Amino acid sequence: MSDSGAVNTAGGQPGAAKGQASIPVPPKLVKVFVDGMEVTADSRDNLIEAARRIGVAIPYFCYHPRLSIAGQCRMCLVETSDAPGRLVPGCQVRVKEGLKVVTNSPAVKDNQRGCMEFHLVNHPVDCAICDQSGECKLQDYYMEYDHQPSRIRTYKLNKPKREIFGPLVVYDAERCIMCTRCVRFMDEIAQEPQLAVVERGSHSLISIFPGQPLDSQYSGNTVDICPVGALLNRDFRFQSRVWFVNKSPSVCTGCSNGCNVYVESRGNVAYRLLPRRNEEVNQVWMCDHGRLTYHETNDKRVEWARTGRGEHAASVGPRIAVDRAVELLMPLAGQGGVGVAISAQCTNEEAAAAFQLGAQLRAQRFFFCEKPPGDSDDFLIRADKNPNANGVKLVAEAFGMKLEDISQIDGVKALVAMRTDGLPLEKLARLEVFVAIAQNEDASTAEADVVLPCESVYEQDGTLINWYGRLQRTWDSVPAPRGDAAPGWSWAERLLSGLGGTGFRSAAAAFKLLAERSPNLVGLSFDQLSDDGMVLDRLLPWQWPARAPRPLPGAHSVRGPQTTPPGTKVGDEPSGASR
Amino acid sequence: MTEPAPQHDPLALEEDLPSAPMTINLGPSHPAMHGTVRLVVTVDGETITEAIPEIGFLHRGFSKSSENSTWHQVLPYTDRLNYVSPILNNTAYIMGVEKLIGIKCTERAEYLRVVGGEISRICDHLTCIGAIGLELGAYTVFLYAIEARELLWDRIAELTGARVTVSWTRISGVASDMPAGWEQHLRDCLPRVIELTNEIDTLLTNNRIFIDRTRGIGVISGEEAIDWGFTGPCLRATGVNYDVRKAHPYSVYDRMDFEIPLGSRGDTYDRYILRLAEIRQSHRIVIQALDQMPPGPIVTDDWRYALPPKKDVFGSIEGVMAHFKLIMEGIKVPPGEVYVYTEGANGELGFHIVSNGQGKPYAIQVRGPGLPILSALPRLIKGHAVADLIPIFDSINMIGGEVEQ
Repeated sequence: MSDSGAVNTAGGQPGAAKGQASIPVPPKLVKVFVDGMEVTADSRDNLIEAARRIGVAIPYFCYHPRLSIAGQCRMCLVETSDAPGRLVPGCQVRVKEGLKVVTNSPAVKDNQRGCMEFHLVNHPVDCAICDQSGECKLQDYYMEYDHQPSRIRTYKLNKPKREIFGPLVVYDAERCIMCTRCVRFMDEIAQEPQLAVVERGSHSLISIFPGQPLDSQYSGNTVDICPVGALLNRDFRFQSRVWFVNKSPSVCTGCSNGCNVYVESRGNVAYRLLPRRNEEVNQVWMCDHGRLTYHETNDKRVEWARTGRGEHAASVGPRIAVDRAVELLMPLAGQGGVGVAISAQCTNEEAAAAFQLGAQLRAQRFFFCEKPPGDSDDFLIRADKNPNANGVKLVAEAFGMKLEDISQIDGVKALVAMRTDGLPLEKLARLEVFVAIAQNEDASTAEADVVLPCESVYEQDGTLINWYGRLQRTWDSVPAPRGDAAPGWSWAERLLSGLGGTGFRSAAAAFKLLAERSPNLVGLSFDQLSDDGMVLDRLLPWQWPARAPRPLPGAHSVRGPQTTPPGTKVGDEPSGASR
Repeated sequence: MTEPAPQHDPLALEEDLPSAPMTINLGPSHPAMHGTVRLVVTVDGETITEAIPEIGFLHRGFSKSSENSTWHQVLPYTDRLNYVSPILNNTAYIMGVEKLIGIKCTERAEYLRVVGGEISRICDHLTCIGAIGLELGAYTVFLYAIEARELLWDRIAELTGARVTVSWTRISGVASDMPAGWEQHLRDCLPRVIELTNEIDTLLTNNRIFIDRTRGIGVISGEEAIDWGFTGPCLRATGVNYDVRKAHPYSVYDRMDFEIPLGSRGDTYDRYILRLAEIRQSHRIVIQALDQMPPGPIVTDDWRYALPPKKDVFGSIEGVMAHFKLIMEGIKVPPGEVYVYTEGANGELGFHIVSNGQGKPYAIQVRGPGLPILSALPRLIKGHAVADLIPIFDSINMIGGEVEQ
């Protein structure tokens, strides 16, 4: 689905087909002048991108660097030396050697003002009740390019206010400015054409097809790229005003793709996940399943340490719980019946701490447990629904231990579980001693003699390794404490000191040991890991899903180049662009 | 005829008495320490050998707080600088922001600011004079001064909605116009204010006790005062003719006919008499401003800088968006750096403001007139008797809020 053959560099319809990705002409550098300033631009740049290189902002609603050009909004009209006396769309016209672009002439300013006025003709007075308020392009551009009172003396057009498009998306037709970004996204990126423009003129609106809801796994992205409040996330709707939440980078834990995300939180409550740009992992997208993974950070958490099963269960202080666990485990240490289960939901540091704890208990057997596999596709969704299966295996290798499948648990008398995903429930009751370091309440925590509350990946420093071997940092993104929850390695450290050993006092210390032991991590330091992660070359797979973003060849240890030079503001960070 | 009793220097009597230096704290919560300031006084008998003012008890972190507030949210902080004449602070700060933006205040609002500012100046001087009287035992003076001040503060409350914490100015104008009938109300009460001022004049100016307690006390020369950074009444009491309203006219002061009263000795008495004269001059200015005030808008209609009318906020998308952006993100002030200076009640009130183009100030520093004058207090007090300390301290009219910010 790419451009076929010749590209019209004179400013015709570049990239009018699907996506902007592959244009068969090798890129070259051209010099253009934006408002008199010289810019060295890529020949594939349009005027918006060329101007962005020197920080000149050309406003736009409908343009998106990853979608085809629509020319719907008319906001980006500028003057060029090629067409004196008329305005041309900056999204559609491509740079050309020596082209002079003017973005601030009276004609351009007048068009921007007029454009805003027309966009607002039928826009409802909704800011106070609109979720987009605070990250809305209409608000931003109105103050920057229009800032004049309304001249409308008629009633505004009424349209459907709350069309349920699908499980995650609701549509308000009155707020819509018909930029068609969502339609193009579904056509070109999700490749599931589930949206269309219907009706004509000022009555036009976006619609799903009869009997076909917007149920694509990527539907949430349409909300992100919607420049106004027309498409809203039903999960986030009316939950929080956007200026109340703190935006913090993290990595999605929904599957082994490891999409880069922002976690937005207030206090110890996460409110939503938004994709964070990483060309080599998720570009600027993420899937709907991943978008909802933050719920595990909020709901049904193990908040306080607990001892005793069933009727004897009692919340206790962390020290009492650790003492109790030590008391139960100490007699069994070295008896051969101790096993350690490590979930693929653990960070590398938690896994390392689990192996260290196992060594202190002289455990002979280590088990690998995980969430069950699920759907996959050829883009961002991987079947392995665990963020760090690769990492846990790498850590096991580093400690020279063999991982068994959790179903082989028979014969184990005492089990210490670092996170409780996928533990075989029917076999847990037979254990003499079961100590669980758990994030969420589930059937297995009910069977535990001691439960220690574990922080979620969104709450702790650590590293994860995705399906193709990309080592990525996580941070303390939801910073406020939740009960007595602590990272898994911290509980392991406390158990270790009770058992007479020493554990890791920080995630960095755990990573340091891993870097010493694992050939894959040699020479790496926790504090110097890039925000965008790095590729561990030896883990790279042979086969790739057709459309999965991949690291650029030959640049594995560093982040690949991006279309926008560092330091300039990227206008299309999905959503939240105005903050 | 009996010979008049020989005049004795009261301090000379103590010369032969054995004494050792003693260090005493005056304040910070002493009633005569206006605001909250401490003087660490070393006395040798009745003579003050050293007096070190210690400030910081009223510190509010003005600069830092301002950096975390939108441009308009800084206004309430400026109220609390010199809290006796807040409109003057509001005006000085907002003039700085207007200069950064390059926007002009509307004509009517300029006059309103002058009216409000000069009333505030009268209040400030009345407070100072009243306090001097009070602390020298002339309680009546204090009552008269406060009666006059209350008359004016009531007018300010009607005009701005608050007696002290007015937050009245806005970028390119003011928050509220004169309410109906307010002008006549003010014109009616100003004669009473002048009448009370005249009463105070009669009570103090030729009063033998008052003169003995203030004349030749806390003397400073013009050159020295300039070296210390004096401005305002304390500088003009030394005979130096510097008033920002005349030297560098701003707002509509160049259209006003008024004089700058000057002292000659630079002592406590002159500082008192000067404030008395300035009250009368401010009265002249207020009357002229009321006479000249044109009709018109009190704030710009450019929604980038002034909130839209409520009708538009609730009734149009344009209005609600402008309101939202101004409240949530603040007015966008172009990057730049300015220093504006105005004549505050106690001297040159300057704001140094830096903007980096965001909705909040990047940095703000205040040149409060009180700090340089307070720093000269040890010099003014040294060698005087303990009893002279309070009149001297009163006469420089230190205001804790603007000294400590």
